[in-house]
Amino acid sequence: MQVTETLSDGLKRAFTVVLPAAEIEGKRTTKLTEMGRTMRLPGFRPGKVPMPVMKQRFGTAVMAEVLEESVDEATRQVLAERNLRPAMQPRVTPVNIEGVMGKGSLADLEFTMELELLPEFAVPDLSGLSLVRLRTEVSEETVDSALGELAARQRSFEDVDEARPAVAGDWLKVDFVGSVDGVAFAGGEAHDMDVEVAGAGFIPGFTEQLVGMSAGEERTITVTFPEDYGARELAGKDAQFAITAKALRRPLVPAIDEELAQKLGFETLDEMRETVRKRTQREYDQLSRLRLKRDLLDQLAKLAQFETPPSMVEAEFGAIWQRIEADRANGQLDEEDREKDEETLKREYGAIAERRVRLGLLLAEIGRQRGIGVSNEELNRALRMEAGRYPGQEAQVIEFFRKNPQAVEGVRGPIFEEKVVDYVIEMAKVEDKAVSLEELQEEPAVEV
Amino acid sequence: MSASPIKSSLAARRRAATLSREAIYGIVLSPVITEKATTLTERGQVVFRVAITATKPQIKVAVETLFGVQVRSVNTLITKGKNKRFRGRPGRRSDVKKAYVELAEGQTIDLTASIA
Repeated sequence: MQVTETLSDGLKRAFTVVLPAAEIEGKRTTKLTEMGRTMRLPGFRPGKVPMPVMKQRFGTAVMAEVLEESVDEATRQVLAERNLRPAMQPRVTPVNIEGVMGKGSLADLEFTMELELLPEFAVPDLSGLSLVRLRTEVSEETVDSALGELAARQRSFEDVDEARPAVAGDWLKVDFVGSVDGVAFAGGEAHDMDVEVAGAGFIPGFTEQLVGMSAGEERTITVTFPEDYGARELAGKDAQFAITAKALRRPLVPAIDEELAQKLGFETLDEMRETVRKRTQREYDQLSRLRLKRDLLDQLAKLAQFETPPSMVEAEFGAIWQRIEADRANGQLDEEDREKDEETLKREYGAIAERRVRLGLLLAEIGRQRGIGVSNEELNRALRMEAGRYPGQEAQVIEFFRKNPQAVEGVRGPIFEEKVVDYVIEMAKVEDKAVSLEELQEEPAVEV
Repeated sequence: MSASPIKSSLAARRRAATLSREAIYGIVLSPVITEKATTLTERGQVVFRVAITATKPQIKVAVETLFGVQVRSVNTLITKGKNKRFRGRPGRRSDVKKAYVELAEGQTIDLTASIA
């Protein structure tokens, strides 16, 4: 094997590799002999097919296989000999494939391989990082309002017998027929529908105009469909609804007491409060961790100044851009992005892609140096959790992961990231700071 | 056979020499590729399936023109078709004529190459 380095520029490397014909021919013969041992062909006893016939019948097919193997092996060998860590699969281009695959005498196989290396860099001093962990305690009011919501979901209805006009908060059972310019439109008709008076969930103005109706009354109201209404032909139009109120009902919200707690499966009211509090606290903590992680990544991105392999950035950018294009096609692009031209968008997302690759490499490097890995147990637990998201199909999901190692990689990645982030947080100086919920929830300024 | 075998064989050769291209393709049908046939190539022999009516002189001329080689001798044989029954009715497989063709010293026929 002859290897010549043809390019060494930054992270890019290129080699020309020549494999002697004899070596390839030898491999092919071995392969054919092996095949011939069990070969069955009409006219020959099993395993007794002579070499010339084998070569003639299967030579080309085996050759393709042998070439692939040789190229693979040579590539690996080059990498191993020079101690190179490629960022992505090296790109291999055969120079003289015809000469090798042809029928005539065998030529030496020559191919070029291009690759990009993973950058070599020193992991920055992690203990120099200083982070702020935001802590928010769950206030009593929050718990109270959460309990109130719980109670509201347990409401029951009571018919109102007296004939009184509906007030906000009452529920009316109504029939309605909607029309635009005197023509009834599809989906504009309903019978015996329960509508909360002055409640949400309808076209703006609809429920509000029910205020004051009493059971048995008929009324025609006019509402305007919002400009961004789902049905294109109705958006922005005025519509008349002929409404017949049939019955008036009043929701009864149960009091927050021991009885409600027991109904919801808790032993006592205190236990219910405690559970609600814990759940809310957990949500806050998650949010806090998210903020912390983001902060951490921001700082790391600033520390990590090294060259990123262009091919990785390109791949990452390709993935992002594909999503953007899809969003654009569906008209779901962010308000902010919609106003920017192609050029600006590409530059911005290019920067994001670069940052992601850089952080990915840095985290991977930290993990590698500190021997952080994802154990099989952790992986299995995550897989089971993933499977649990598809109730009834757990077996298929597990099966899917067993057959698709790439999919497993997709699960392993985030676990690894979390573990490394945990490690870095441990190393860094972290100070706790109590903040209010609003402060916790506010979007930090985006830095790229 | 007639009274003068040499004379008739000469006549046969003369007739074979004037075989048309079309007739040649009708004589040599296909190579026989078996263990025995491949071993024989080492001794300069090639085996063909030939038309049941083909004569040795015809085969010789046909092989010589088709592959551009010199033929030293031709041996032929007929393998009789087997008696078979199909749905109880007796039937017979066709007979097959094979020709063992010995080539001049050092010559070979590449059976993988297409015939001109």
